[in-house]
Amino acid sequence: MKSKKSQQVVPNLSGGWSVKSYGSTRAFKTFDTQGEAVAWARSKSKREGLDLYVHGRDGMVRYKNSYRTVPSSPQHGNGRK
Amino acid sequence: MPPGPHPGFSKNVFINCPFDSEYSFLLRPILFTIVYLGFTPQIASQTADSGEQRINKILSLIVKSKYSLHDLSRIRSKRSGELYRLNMPFELGMDYACRRIPSGHLRQKRFLVLGATPHDYKKALSDLAGIDGKPHGNKPKKAVLALRNWFIETVHLKKAESPNVIWYKFTDFTNDFHDERKKDGFTKEDLKMMPIREYIGFIRTWIDNLPRRHISGT
Repeated sequence: MKSKKSQQVVPNLSGGWSVKSYGSTRAFKTFDTQGEAVAWARSKSKREGLDLYVHGRDGMVRYKNSYRTVPSSPQHGNGRK
Repeated sequence: MPPGPHPGFSKNVFINCPFDSEYSFLLRPILFTIVYLGFTPQIASQTADSGEQRINKILSLIVKSKYSLHDLSRIRSKRSGELYRLNMPFELGMDYACRRIPSGHLRQKRFLVLGATPHDYKKALSDLAGIDGKPHGNKPKKAVLALRNWFIETVHLKKAESPNVIWYKFTDFTNDFHDERKKDGFTKEDLKMMPIREYIGFIRTWIDNLPRRHISGT
């Protein structure tokens, strides 16, 4: 379990989209659309210097953006992967 | 007199569903839920011994599993002239027949029938009248919900975390699966083509590393 400092945009059981932290079983906020959830989560991740994982409706990771201020590995640090 | 149960009988869950890439969006959360609740998925594609007839392999998996999951949501043909898929209802019939063997442990067998809607498969398989299935609506989250609730209602699991918690654990798992497999050199295509047995192994390792137990036994 390594993705600890990260935010996720994931589909929720009610048909909308939730923004949650890795390892948390509660969402910060829920939205009707994935676009709204991504916009809110991106702003939070930038502010807090976190990785952002955006999941698809199947729960799998569609893409990942890193907003870490201190790169954890050579692949982080340019704000985008 | 049939032989005694397989040592893993009470924890084995036979999975009867399509194994093509179009179904993997449902299969992956289903496998995760089964392992998360402490059970062992048994699938025909786990072994590729060409010397063994597939039907014999399926029968041996059915016999060693107390529980079964039959997804009939893909029996409908999509285009005019296309044959519909018969394997899933056929394997459900094999499972049902095993359960009706008059004596022995196979009488304990229980199964869940999944469909896209509550009753669509009954139109094609009216023999299932009186057997209630659960719909997943072709939505992975609803499949998790249906499966988790079936484990409580029918398997009599005393306690399990909520469908929402299991779903969020699955998304945590996929985060790590994405990062760790990428680090191991897997491409997106490799991940799509990953053998189900290997995928189950990654789920099990991840769950074994969770800090606390999240279920109570039957």
